[in-house]
Amino acid sequence: MTRFQRFPTAPARLVLAWRAAALVAAALIVGVLLALSGRDVFVLGELVLRSTVGSRFGLEDLALFMTPLVLTGAAVTVTSRIGLWNIGGEGQFYLGAIGAAGVGLYLPGPQIIVLPLMALAAIACGMAWIVVPTLARAYAGVSEIITTLLLNFVAGLLTYWLATGPWRDRVTGALASSGRISDAIPELWGVVHWGFPLSLAIAAGLAAIMTWTGWGYEVRVSGANPGAARYAGMPMRGRVIAVMLLSGALAALAGMFEVAGTVHRLQGGMADNFGYLGIVVAVLARRSCLAVIPAALLMALILDAGIVLQTQQLAATAVLAITGLVLLLIAIGDELAHYRPVAPASSTRSGAAA
Amino acid sequence: MEMPSAAPGTPPVLQLVGICKYFPGVIANEDVSLDVRPGEILALLGENGAGKSTLMNVVTGIYQPDAGEMILDGYGAEFASPQEAIRAGVGMVHQHFKLVPAFTVAENIHLGWSETPRNASPAVLEARTRALSEQFGFPVNPSARVEDLSAGEQQRVEILRVLARRARLLILDEPTAVLTPAEARDLFSALRAFRAGGNAVIIISHKLDEVMEISDRVTILRGGRNVGTWETRECSPRMLAARMVGREIVPQDMRARAEGAAGRGTAPELSLRSVSIRDERGVETLSDVTLDVFGGEILGIAGVAGNGQRELTEVLTGLLSPERGEVLLGGRTAPPGADAFARSGVGHIPQDRLHSALAPSLGTTDNMALREYRAPPIGGSGLFRADAALALAREIAGLAEVRIPDFGAPVRNLSGGNQQRLVARREMRIASRVLVAAYPSRGLDIGAIATMHRYFAELRDKGVAIVLVSEDLEELLNLSDRIGVMFHGRLMATLDAEGADIERIGLLMGGRNVGEDAASGGGVG
Repeated sequence: MTRFQRFPTAPARLVLAWRAAALVAAALIVGVLLALSGRDVFVLGELVLRSTVGSRFGLEDLALFMTPLVLTGAAVTVTSRIGLWNIGGEGQFYLGAIGAAGVGLYLPGPQIIVLPLMALAAIACGMAWIVVPTLARAYAGVSEIITTLLLNFVAGLLTYWLATGPWRDRVTGALASSGRISDAIPELWGVVHWGFPLSLAIAAGLAAIMTWTGWGYEVRVSGANPGAARYAGMPMRGRVIAVMLLSGALAALAGMFEVAGTVHRLQGGMADNFGYLGIVVAVLARRSCLAVIPAALLMALILDAGIVLQTQQLAATAVLAITGLVLLLIAIGDELAHYRPVAPASSTRSGAAA
Repeated sequence: MEMPSAAPGTPPVLQLVGICKYFPGVIANEDVSLDVRPGEILALLGENGAGKSTLMNVVTGIYQPDAGEMILDGYGAEFASPQEAIRAGVGMVHQHFKLVPAFTVAENIHLGWSETPRNASPAVLEARTRALSEQFGFPVNPSARVEDLSAGEQQRVEILRVLARRARLLILDEPTAVLTPAEARDLFSALRAFRAGGNAVIIISHKLDEVMEISDRVTILRGGRNVGTWETRECSPRMLAARMVGREIVPQDMRARAEGAAGRGTAPELSLRSVSIRDERGVETLSDVTLDVFGGEILGIAGVAGNGQRELTEVLTGLLSPERGEVLLGGRTAPPGADAFARSGVGHIPQDRLHSALAPSLGTTDNMALREYRAPPIGGSGLFRADAALALAREIAGLAEVRIPDFGAPVRNLSGGNQQRLVARREMRIASRVLVAAYPSRGLDIGAIATMHRYFAELRDKGVAIVLVSEDLEELLNLSDRIGVMFHGRLMATLDAEGADIERIGLLMGGRNVGEDAASGGGVG
């Protein structure tokens, strides 16, 4: 008799297989529901495919969505490696955008100097935004989940105030945003700017740091078991501070890329949930910095498909429901990947006793 | 096997027929049959991973058997939960107590019990508890909070809780692991009284002496299968050990030095001078401890767990710095920090390997690099060379004689014995001066314990100073050259292990100082 038993670890192969099955199941469920509500599923499906992966315009859009998602996803992933959760990606994204816009708007100079300065200002602002939660965590054990989350609302309002107040566009008189920033990240392919390959390189670099440096090793051990890190005399507090500041910098860089690469202005609401979606990306990536890239791709596909469906008079809430369905099914798939068939009567007995 | 003690026609309290229980890749129990009769104490003996706890979890409804039958008083029985089992009269006292620490004894006794009176005041519950306590002969203080009780008192509450629910079969999982010798004696006399009432007891153990002392019959499990059942009075500890491990165990006098072994050093390798530690509540957990450990000797630390042993090992390994007093390493003031201690040649086998010595979710490679990742070949110029780490992990696994199928797979997938061997070998590599081992054989089977002891003897013969903290007096007496006894954070005395009097150590463990310095000591008990 073959029975299924839950194992403590899920092999990557099984996770991938189950996730693929989850995506197919989600597509089927959505398809059936759309058909039941009287829509032509095949026309819709073709439209979604054509406007995401099936056309140059769609692919460019995907890359633009992926860029911030890779960075905010990486921001959450690095903290999860040390056992913490930075829920404040949204706020740090805004602060990165503010820092970059401030330099871009008010510091004239050659682009080759201004762009790096914008990036540095963004990183500094993002780190500043997370520094209080970081120190509270490292020295007083205050939950970083609450502190980082609450600062998001402050950052969002701060951005609205700047974009509609002191930094508002005095040229066109538009009320919702700052003036146009002339310095832009050079474009690489259509509207896709250099921020895209750079974000991929950053994710790969982080993966390398986690695997190939002593610092990354200490972060991994500290996250896997703080007791073992203390036992080995690792500087836990220093690692926590460094990782959280790094996380803030990554999310802020996403904000800078968005300002200097895509939007070219500071706008209220411009983070567009990229910070929160970074959490989803990190969960999908299962704590691997490299896996953040395909996870961000999937998230970008879902977002893009959602926009296409909205143009077809599907309510935004329906799109949100589809996103939720996909994530729910993937979570179920991840759990199922822990199960493997065991044949109890087999004569081969594993050496590892429970 | 015909039992003369059981009256003919009386069905066993519990009979298991062909019980099987499988876990992924592991046969926990296969075709296990046994019976327990009214008025007997059955010992269930076996190494770690032999399937003792799994079998009892099947009996008490925590697991359901994959095959086989359970017969209770002659009728087939199936338990979907421990609640159903206790309703049928089968109660278990687990190794780790399942009490609510913040509740009083009376509240714990009445928690989740159908006979608990509704809306009862604490006074009513306490009165009922007092009555139960007298009825069953387990003295408890009904109004005390469980968190304030000693391990032995908590165990009494656990047992009383089971007995109050009219259990006729009491199952105890390693009940003496947390008890002082005196508390263990009390427990045994209570179990004998329970047996005299026509009830049955199953006691899980791997302490042979204990099995010889308390049980009427012994059932031995090995590799999940029933090896056999014997009348205890026809057994000897030696024969039980041999059947348990499937081979003959040769007792060794571990104190004898190998030929050409390094002698005892003349200057202490590690010393404490009047060291005191306070915990965060300001309670002194280590009081004015002074000791010296010399190279080439094993210093045993005896005492009931929780009397300052954890703090002592943490001070000796640099994890805690003393509030008062001084730690000397090789005669000089020790550098601060666990990392500095490790680099100066102090190895540490901590008491809870999964909580501190290993990162359970990381692979064997990462775990074996824990002590040597800073220096070449693994470390150096900020890098972590995974290939060098893998080579080190292979080397340690080879020395520890542990077969690792996948060095990247989480280390928690290994058995407790294999984890401990890996940790021990990793620490022995860096322990050029001192090795501090806390409860190194806790939770291990006889074979793994023997390996661990051999490691210590080898290291001692190389001239390393070893501090061995243990609750097991036999282990301490076999291995140590000197034995220090801890009580309430104080080092009560240090005795020569050769010819040491067990009774005297027992008294010291209980806080009574007799003998040598009679001037400062209390009276004879």
